[in-house]
Amino acid sequence: MQNLMRRIVRERQIWIMAVPMIAWVLVFSYYPMYGMIISFQNYVPGNSFFSGDWVGFAHFERFFSSPDFLQVMRNTLAMSGLNILFGLPAPLILALLLNELRNKTFKRVTQTLSYIPYFISWVVVASILFTLLGSDGLLNRLLLDFGMIKDPISFLGEGKYFWTIITASNIWKDIGFNSIIYLSALASIDRELLDAGKVDGISRFGTVWHIYLPGIRTTIILLWILGIGGILNAGFEQQLLLGSPTTSDYSEVVDTYVYKYGVQLGYYSFASAVNLLKAVVSVVLVLSMNRIAKKLFDTSIV
Amino acid sequence: MKSEFLRTSVGSKLFDAGNIALMLAFGCIMIYPFLNLLALSFNDGIDAARGGIYLFPRKLSLSAYELLFQNHKMLEGLMWSVLRVVVGTSLCLFATGLLAYLVNIRHFSGKRLLRILFFVTMYFNGGFFPAYLLMLKLGLTNSFQVYWLPSLFNVYFMLLIASYIQNQPEALFESARIDGAGEFRVYWRIVIPICMPVFAAVSVYLAVSHWNSWFDVVLYNPSGDYDTLQVYLRRLLLEMEGLQQIQDQQMLYNKFRDLSPLTLRAATTIIVTVPILLVYPFLQKYFIGGITLGSVKG
Repeated sequence: MQNLMRRIVRERQIWIMAVPMIAWVLVFSYYPMYGMIISFQNYVPGNSFFSGDWVGFAHFERFFSSPDFLQVMRNTLAMSGLNILFGLPAPLILALLLNELRNKTFKRVTQTLSYIPYFISWVVVASILFTLLGSDGLLNRLLLDFGMIKDPISFLGEGKYFWTIITASNIWKDIGFNSIIYLSALASIDRELLDAGKVDGISRFGTVWHIYLPGIRTTIILLWILGIGGILNAGFEQQLLLGSPTTSDYSEVVDTYVYKYGVQLGYYSFASAVNLLKAVVSVVLVLSMNRIAKKLFDTSIV
Repeated sequence: MKSEFLRTSVGSKLFDAGNIALMLAFGCIMIYPFLNLLALSFNDGIDAARGGIYLFPRKLSLSAYELLFQNHKMLEGLMWSVLRVVVGTSLCLFATGLLAYLVNIRHFSGKRLLRILFFVTMYFNGGFFPAYLLMLKLGLTNSFQVYWLPSLFNVYFMLLIASYIQNQPEALFESARIDGAGEFRVYWRIVIPICMPVFAAVSVYLAVSHWNSWFDVVLYNPSGDYDTLQVYLRRLLLEMEGLQQIQDQQMLYNKFRDLSPLTLRAATTIIVTVPILLVYPFLQKYFIGGITLGSVKG
């Protein structure tokens, strides 16, 4: 004990810098976790986190028994499910196609263009979608010109298009950036394998099927496993920005639901309970998926 | 034998042609929305409402930009955005870098504690709602502080910088200590200069994420006193509100009669996007390095 004290005194220079950091992480990262205790109370804003009446799991029960529960879960799982189903293979296909381009300059230019959407905000994406999908936007005009519809469709005003729009814009935004990891995996495949394939007269499709895909199998499976770990994260900003009262039956996900009840309507304890539920299930999913990945490939992504 | 070689070669060429066409189309899909907005933003508003503007403005007009650069709300938004990027990025870089250095000091007894305290938060974070309650409690809502204080330390970037520091020769730091430099001095005079490459990469990322932030502004600063450019653009998206904003302020002037929400929105979107495109070469230079650095950190 005295030893430790002596060490701390000797290292006081470092500790003076470290203590504010510890204080920061305790306040901004750990204290909010402790604040989730209000999920089991009827919390009155402004009071301390321990002053409310204890109500046990009442808020959780209320969420489970409300009709919102099924709808919110359906929307969340549908949108992130679609994202895994289409959003995960899309960058892989892009990477394989880019990899086949012979002209290196063309390949580089295409790649450069493909990352741009990744770096713009969802507000800008929303603005683009409002312009393209509005009643006098490009898509309606094209459909009208080709005689496929008679009247303009309000794509963003009707719930049945919402999931498609979210999935498509997610893919548009992330495809280029997500293809990088596949491209670098493709680049690390042993050249000798490719040369051996050439000597054996393997076709280009055969090269992709027998050399490239097996060569990056680990990367593919790893990314898919981790994608499943994040299944409750169906996005947040995009739903808030693109959703509207007319589409809320399809756009409400867990996070927007928490926002609506907690921030806009002020039901702190109820919102906190829903949020806690999501946080717990998410952590369990992520950790178990990590464990599976570790078992399968002896690599961990943390 | 020869004929078979010829056949595969023809198929291969066909595939190449198809692939190039497909990639051209793909490139267009990636970039076209921006070109469309650019054309709209430079077009006369009334004329644009007729539709049919795809790649080039039909009736050139600068009034959307003229109005925006005279509009107080937009200029204020621009100011808060720039301030947020500058303050948020530099403070986070400085603090996260210092943290990364401290956990790398070999003889420091608290380095494990620091590492673990921060590392755990990568997995366990309660989401936005508990953080929101905390901000309410601390009285940080409706203030500029929420733009830098809650994001002062970034665990992911700490790991990135820490692994960079770890690869530097320890003798560099040790010799400075022997010369009597304190730890902070070592950080300021030695760690920062030698870590410039990783600092540059991280700062570009931080700057982009600060510039792009929208939700935390809505959540923490509902008063509207600290609205950033993203929030201003969002306001314009809600068309009715956007229209009213124009009418209230400057629509009465004859000069701006040729405006429409469509062109105004397009011009604002371009203003929000241009800074990203300006730093894009740096982003591109660094992010492949960032990904590979990130994958070895485990």
